[in-house]
Amino acid sequence: MAEVLVLAGPGRAARATCALLTLARRLGTPAVVAGAPANGTTRARAGTPATVTGGGKNGATQARTPRTVAGGPASAATLGRFGAKTIYAATAPEMDEHPVAARVEMLVRLARHRPAAILVAADRDGLEIAGRVAVRLDSGFLSDVVDVTAGPDGPVAVQSVQGGAWRVESSVVRGVPVLAVRTEHVAITPAPAPARPVVTTVRLTFPRSVRAVRQVARHRARPRDLSTAAVIVAGGRGVGSAEGFELVRRLAAALDGVPAGSHAAAEQGWCPPQMQVDQVGQVVHPSLYLALGISGSLRHRAGMRGAGTVVAIDSDPQAPIFRLSDLGAVGDVHQVVPELLAEIERRRALPLIAEE
Amino acid sequence: MVLRLVLGLVITAVALAVAGRRAFLLYRLARSGQPVEPGRTSGVGKRSEAVATEVLGQRKLLKWTVPGVAHFAVFWGFTILLATIVEGFGALFQRDFHIPLIGTQAWLGFLEDLFVVAVLAGLAVFAVLRLTQRPEREGRRSRFYGSHLGPAWLVLFMIFNVMWTLLLYRGAQINNGVFPYAQGAFASEAVARLLAPLGATANDVLETAGLLASLGIVLGFLVLVLYSKHLHIFLAPLNVAFSRRPRALGPLLPVYSGGKEVDFEDPGEDDKIGRGVIEDFTWKGMLDFGTCTECGRCQSQCPAWNTGKPLNPKLLIMGLRDHAMAKAPYLLAGSDEQRAALPKDVLAEVERPLVGTADEGGVIDPDVLWSCVTCGACVEQCPVDIEHVDHIVDMRRYQVLIESQFPKEAHTLLRNLERSGDPWGRGAQARLEWTAGLPFDVRVLGDGQTLPADVDHLLWVGCAGALDENAKKTTRAVAELLHEAGVEFMVLGGAETCTGDAARRLGQELLFQELAKQNVETLDAAGAKRIVVTCAHCFNALGNEYKQLGGDYEVLHHTQLLSRLVAENKLVPVRPVDAAVTYHDPCYLGRHNRVFAPPRDLLGGVPGVRLTEMPRNRETSFCCGAGGARMWMEETIGVRINETRTDEAIATGAELITAACPFCIVMLTDGAAVRKQQGKAPDELQVVDVSRVLLRSIRAVD
Amino acid sequence: MRIVVLVKQVPSTDDGLSFAPDLTVIRDAGPCGLNAADWCAVDQSLQVAVRRRDVQITAVTMGPPGAADALRTALVLGADAAVHIRDEALHGSDALATSRVLAAAVRRLGFDLVLCGATSADSGMSAVPAMVAERLGVPALCFADRLLVRERKVEIHRDDGCGDRRVFVAAPPMVISVTERCGEPHYPRYVSRFDARDKPIAVWGLDTLGIDPAEVGLAGSACVVRAATPRSGGRPDALAMGDPTSVAIRLADFLAERQFL
Repeated sequence: MAEVLVLAGPGRAARATCALLTLARRLGTPAVVAGAPANGTTRARAGTPATVTGGGKNGATQARTPRTVAGGPASAATLGRFGAKTIYAATAPEMDEHPVAARVEMLVRLARHRPAAILVAADRDGLEIAGRVAVRLDSGFLSDVVDVTAGPDGPVAVQSVQGGAWRVESSVVRGVPVLAVRTEHVAITPAPAPARPVVTTVRLTFPRSVRAVRQVARHRARPRDLSTAAVIVAGGRGVGSAEGFELVRRLAAALDGVPAGSHAAAEQGWCPPQMQVDQVGQVVHPSLYLALGISGSLRHRAGMRGAGTVVAIDSDPQAPIFRLSDLGAVGDVHQVVPELLAEIERRRALPLIAEE
Repeated sequence: MVLRLVLGLVITAVALAVAGRRAFLLYRLARSGQPVEPGRTSGVGKRSEAVATEVLGQRKLLKWTVPGVAHFAVFWGFTILLATIVEGFGALFQRDFHIPLIGTQAWLGFLEDLFVVAVLAGLAVFAVLRLTQRPEREGRRSRFYGSHLGPAWLVLFMIFNVMWTLLLYRGAQINNGVFPYAQGAFASEAVARLLAPLGATANDVLETAGLLASLGIVLGFLVLVLYSKHLHIFLAPLNVAFSRRPRALGPLLPVYSGGKEVDFEDPGEDDKIGRGVIEDFTWKGMLDFGTCTECGRCQSQCPAWNTGKPLNPKLLIMGLRDHAMAKAPYLLAGSDEQRAALPKDVLAEVERPLVGTADEGGVIDPDVLWSCVTCGACVEQCPVDIEHVDHIVDMRRYQVLIESQFPKEAHTLLRNLERSGDPWGRGAQARLEWTAGLPFDVRVLGDGQTLPADVDHLLWVGCAGALDENAKKTTRAVAELLHEAGVEFMVLGGAETCTGDAARRLGQELLFQELAKQNVETLDAAGAKRIVVTCAHCFNALGNEYKQLGGDYEVLHHTQLLSRLVAENKLVPVRPVDAAVTYHDPCYLGRHNRVFAPPRDLLGGVPGVRLTEMPRNRETSFCCGAGGARMWMEETIGVRINETRTDEAIATGAELITAACPFCIVMLTDGAAVRKQQGKAPDELQVVDVSRVLLRSIRAVD
Repeated sequence: MRIVVLVKQVPSTDDGLSFAPDLTVIRDAGPCGLNAADWCAVDQSLQVAVRRRDVQITAVTMGPPGAADALRTALVLGADAAVHIRDEALHGSDALATSRVLAAAVRRLGFDLVLCGATSADSGMSAVPAMVAERLGVPALCFADRLLVRERKVEIHRDDGCGDRRVFVAAPPMVISVTERCGEPHYPRYVSRFDARDKPIAVWGLDTLGIDPAEVGLAGSACVVRAATPRSGGRPDALAMGDPTSVAIRLADFLAERQFL
């Protein structure tokens, strides 16, 4: 069976990579394309050292020394458990410094050997990489993929279009299918028989163009600006008091997001008016909007409709916010949020994918 | 006598020359404004009636009893005492002059003296009011805050001088035997008794000195009036005569330039859109500015000013007037050379933007301009019919259409209206969500269909009525009530778009025109004649403003239709609604359109309802804070208008606050929620539309 | 500085999309308008123009005749000229073919910056900016949440969630895609509508661009749609109920699935 290239990262990707592997197993032999060992760009918390041996193939040289592989987010053992037979790693500093452009080069290079498909997670970096690779290979590209099956003429991808209103089945008729997968829709399952992946270090000489985009800063300081925030945690009337609003701030901190308030919270003085999200306050476009105790008045909804994923916690199951939510939790903010904070804390202490 | 005549004539000539020069300047300044729109002079009957009731009858002034009566006395005093001026000038020529025919009759003498005393009493009242309500003591709450206080006192003092010199020479005249009235002039006779002991010579001197002083003061006063805010003495009748009738409320005027309506699809090269500089105002605008007498009745009712915002209708008009006066030399200069040669301070005044922050040297601060809720309380109060709201909207029009300078939040509103046809950007597909779960089918007019003959009314649901959670309940209640009463109605569903009220009040006239044209087209295609609406703003737009675009419909507010159905026994409220209730008058239903009784009749007809009025109700209702597109702007200055109004409602002891407009309900619901959270309102307090109270009484609803 | 802004006409309502019998997307059945992120892209190009004198902004769209509305909006917002790429043969183009056409148009116009809206992740065209950059052989700064155009370099700020906030720099010529987080676009002045009437909209066909019709459209696309089925209900109504702990676990699972933990 042909290989299926699964791009790991460059972001926080352990779960996403496992989701891609789950799909890749249906199409061929999964091979993970990873960044440099001990990739420092993400939270390295699940790196179990794995000693691997393997035969060099496809022009890549054999790995001689035991090393941590798969760039931190997921260990070789984890990748193996989800079916990865091969791990292509590259050690060049460009993989770290110019993660997107370098991965494009790496995938294009590995694609010379006609893989059955290339799977990437449909996050920001993934989409850019996939787009460039598709052009380089003059290959069909499909986005919003939520499921994949093997068909007689290659993979058949199920795409979720228009916020899930349409289910579209597509396939690629030219080149190596490049699929950008929305991994949150994939039910992750381990491989029936765990594999011991072979780690292959790929030596690449990168063209100068790889260095065209420079990353000049990476900051973990909490952002203050609601309008550019990726994660917003907002509190409303259900938060109950200025003290209760502290829960909003704590959850925002736990998710590296920005706290905000509905107009009810701002009117009560629980948060300053600059933090007000609604039609007359800030109109926001975060990737994740977490609404705590916000019923979702029309004016509030008008301010956060541009959010990617909406999660709401409110005690009233009839609250209009739930009609807009990807996940709604019915419950008292004061009970659910402390539990959620504890749960997040607990998970942070654990490997992302349990190594049971 | 000759000296007296010469002196008198010299004084007169000088005063008239100075006054005439000033009057001519003021006239030219007013004429430097744009022509007015058509219709300002038509309807002579109605206009005369307005002058009769508002100027002669002092109708609006008498709404405030004490100052109203005092002003009535002074106004009529001045009118009656014109007779004494005639007598005074006559006495210059002929010592014992009297007005022909009636000039010796006792009643005239009595009337003159009565009003001399009345004016003096009025002055005393004014003085007391000015002292007790002085800004030093009352701050912003004082109606004289920011008014020209010195000149006002000077005017009072001058009137006082006119009065006492009048009495002085009339008393002396009596003693000298040259007084026209044998009896009746009781006050002059009292003064005469005081002066009699001084002897004949002294009385001779006093007579001449008093007469000259009196005439001099009257003439001096004439000059003073022309140079001060007291211009209203002459301008008020004109301003009332040329003001919008029946009132400068309800529909806004379209954009006029040079007296012609601007065609937004194909505007003329020189068309002025809105007011960007002072000379863009019409001469009626200039007349408004000149007529303002700084009485502060407007501000006493202004929701913005009373909640700590910088907008004060009086200061706004004063600011525009002062700017116009300071810029006058520039406006009246005949050539570029003359303009270039003007003093520096005039040129600096020319440079000031009409709307701008203090740093930019603006005449009107943007915060002032955008604080207005267009509730019309100022227009309602103004005794001289100044059209504050029109001026504010005209300035907004320039800011929005020409400068694109307006609160950022409102950009979202406009974009939503443009893209989705409703203020929240929900889109047409959401407009029938409110019908879900009703026990009967709501008939929706299909594309290209006309209303069938059996349909009595088109129910115009409106954006809020279709999309807002609370307003949807109102729409459902009205639909259920109409169904119950057997009234056949249909809705347009997704074919409706916003009426454009908010866009128009924000100053985005073009968008209003686009939305309105689209709606008129839809309504005309549907053959709509009778329309019922649940929103006060839709009511005003559909009923009043669409006429300007050729859409003529009979538009009923749901409270009007429902109260009629109750009166006709088609709806019978039976189930008692045992609650203390208060009713909030929506500005665009009440003050702007004079629908006061139907909602009250509805509530009154429901058994068990105990209706308590708020102190500010009907014409003097206090806005909820949502009008003038303020619904879609952030309120960060001062205290919130909606909370202020909610407090007033809570203070009546109401368990049920009712209103008849979805936006009032949003604002009051917010206010009530804040007060509940603060423990300042009972938990069972509810804010509902009047129709929902009726529905509870018709049928058992939770 | 020559800026080309790539714009797109999209349905204004949430459910404004359907499929034709040949399984191509029908985009102009209902009310349509300029894509919201493209609106930001035009606005951002204007912000560059405010600071520099020599900026020429050209809006480019590819689509059926109705797509010209998007260009007209862009012209009202302040673009100087517009190009409408229109050709029967373009019908059914996939992302790859679209990027081929757009890149050819951009190359023909000449450019220092190519700006476009980074449509949200659930749009089929979200990789087009990167594809155009690849075809033009220039760097791309994608998904800019904040854009700063300096004298000789362009800086973008990005917040990818989970505290992953980065700043990237590259030098023109280049492609930039901006998100709606770049800020509320300015509201155009009334006179802009009339200025826009006088601005040219050039209509280009495939022959103008020298592209073989076989390379684009349904024929030239590298993907085929096999089936399209509507799913009732749109967003699934997912409600978690129960005791706080189980609700919290459900929430944490969900956040982890979507990579927010």
